[in-house]
Amino acid sequence: MNGSLEKYTPKLMVLPTFLILLIISLVPLIYVLGISFTASTIAKPFNDFVWFENYKKAFTDEIFGHSLVNTLLFAFIVTTIQTFLGFVLAFTMQRERTLSGVLRTLALLPLFTPPVAIAMIWRLIYDPNQGLLNYYLLNWGLSSTPIAFLGERTLAFPAIMLADIWQWTPFCFLLCLAALQSLPRDPYEAAMVDGASAWYVFRRLTLPMVAPQIIVIFLFRFLIALKVFDLIYMLTFGGPGNATQVASFYIYRVSFKQFQTGYGGALSILVLILISILATLLTKGREFLLSKVER
Amino acid sequence: MNKNGTFDNHGETEEIITRKDFGYYLSHILLGRGGRIVLLLIFTLSILIPIIYIASTSLKEPIEIRTSGALFPTGPITSINWIKAFRNVPLVRYLFNSTVVAFFSTLLVLTIAIPTTYSIIRFKTGGWFLPAWILGTYVMPPIVVSIPIFAMVKMVGLQNTLLGLLLVHTMANMPIAVWLLDSYIRAIPKELEQAAWIDGYSRWETLLRVVFPLIRPGVLATGVICLILSWNEFLFALILTYGVQSNTFPIGISRYVGEHGLQFGEMSAAALAGIVPIYLLVFLFSRNLVEGLTRGGVKG
Repeated sequence: MNGSLEKYTPKLMVLPTFLILLIISLVPLIYVLGISFTASTIAKPFNDFVWFENYKKAFTDEIFGHSLVNTLLFAFIVTTIQTFLGFVLAFTMQRERTLSGVLRTLALLPLFTPPVAIAMIWRLIYDPNQGLLNYYLLNWGLSSTPIAFLGERTLAFPAIMLADIWQWTPFCFLLCLAALQSLPRDPYEAAMVDGASAWYVFRRLTLPMVAPQIIVIFLFRFLIALKVFDLIYMLTFGGPGNATQVASFYIYRVSFKQFQTGYGGALSILVLILISILATLLTKGREFLLSKVER
Repeated sequence: MNKNGTFDNHGETEEIITRKDFGYYLSHILLGRGGRIVLLLIFTLSILIPIIYIASTSLKEPIEIRTSGALFPTGPITSINWIKAFRNVPLVRYLFNSTVVAFFSTLLVLTIAIPTTYSIIRFKTGGWFLPAWILGTYVMPPIVVSIPIFAMVKMVGLQNTLLGLLLVHTMANMPIAVWLLDSYIRAIPKELEQAAWIDGYSRWETLLRVVFPLIRPGVLATGVICLILSWNEFLFALILTYGVQSNTFPIGISRYVGEHGLQFGEMSAAALAGIVPIYLLVFLFSRNLVEGLTRGGVKG
């Protein structure tokens, strides 16, 4: 055995990952930062140095601002609903060992269905003429005319959110269930001896013990929800108008449909800065919430 | 509650029991057997109805699809949508491309992620920085780096090839793989490895002969998850492939949506052709998958 080489083994083990991280995050970020100061197009990268023109343009770009608001709204609404539903379901099912086993397998299905296929399923459900939802709304007399869910400015976004909720609530359910089942049993036995009510046990025992993990689940899901792209691309393409425009999709449109990679780069940098600030704030917020719950 | 896990305030406990508030009734309903069964049914149906609907649509006569959106076929069932889906679109080719990309990218991811995760946990390689960088890369929206990735793939001449997409998927799934493997490797007692070192095993040998057999369930879960994520991946496949020879399944079937006069029957059959293999994997490895996801998911 070569002793001197052995010393470098740990470093050698992470080397490929280090290189991958360089290729997939650091180098691209430098590239994007560089390109964001130019009037590049997809055919002519690093064309014409324009300093902060792209950034100036971004700050006055109403669609961009609108897409940022939409992204935050989307992530906040779906994450809140998914975590809440997931928790209620997990809390209710935690003692049903056999049933929750079956549910856990079922819960994997929406999570792992290809997003493109999910979008197709919901497109079909929402279709004004041939879809499931309109069929039953009309047949049961709940609506007199077919509703174009994805074509109405006010309905398109909630419709996409519902598809996202279908996809991700089971994931939150799985994580909440695991969190609940990892709680220690002793305090519950003590509470039973004391004759505490179910609600009291929930509020004074379960909630404080499980809160740190639920907050982590919320944060994790929130940060992933900010990436939303596939459903928008497949269901509305940002429309009608720009009603469902979100950050990822707008950057895609600017970079790959209008070929303004320079401007797309500036938008990317701004989105990244925003997400970093948000992630920092949320971690701080988490500490604050925990100090509230634990008392 | 004090440190021993018992209640300090017995008086308050009794008060709560006598004062039956909203929360009391809520917990009563939720935790009653009947309430649980109802909730369970709603949950199960919500998950299954969309899936049942697309399956039933793929079996409806095209005329029926145009006139009725009922959950189950009311007329005779037919295989015409399935036949058309495979005949009008190079579906087999898309599925083949997806399989190649998913399989080889997963193999590569595992080969690289296992030693990396082991080294990060056991030797603290990279300190706090490397894990933070890995997590940060995962949280970053892929669209942000899509322009340079597109440029780099083009620069090395791999645009519109399966190899190019496969390498990008390998890199994109690396953070998730490290994150999933983490808890499995962490659970191995250090003493086992130290015993192996004393026996004269090198670090690589220890990883292969001592650690690897112990984390096999974790490797399986991580592998299946990376396989599915690659199979489902949309954005990179969208910008890096633009021909039948390299289009993966999600890109291939996404064409159905842009076209005029949606062929819902055909579209449903095509979508199902890509869903069914995933569901088979899910059912085969469900225990493993649940464990893999939840072990990684709730660490603080």
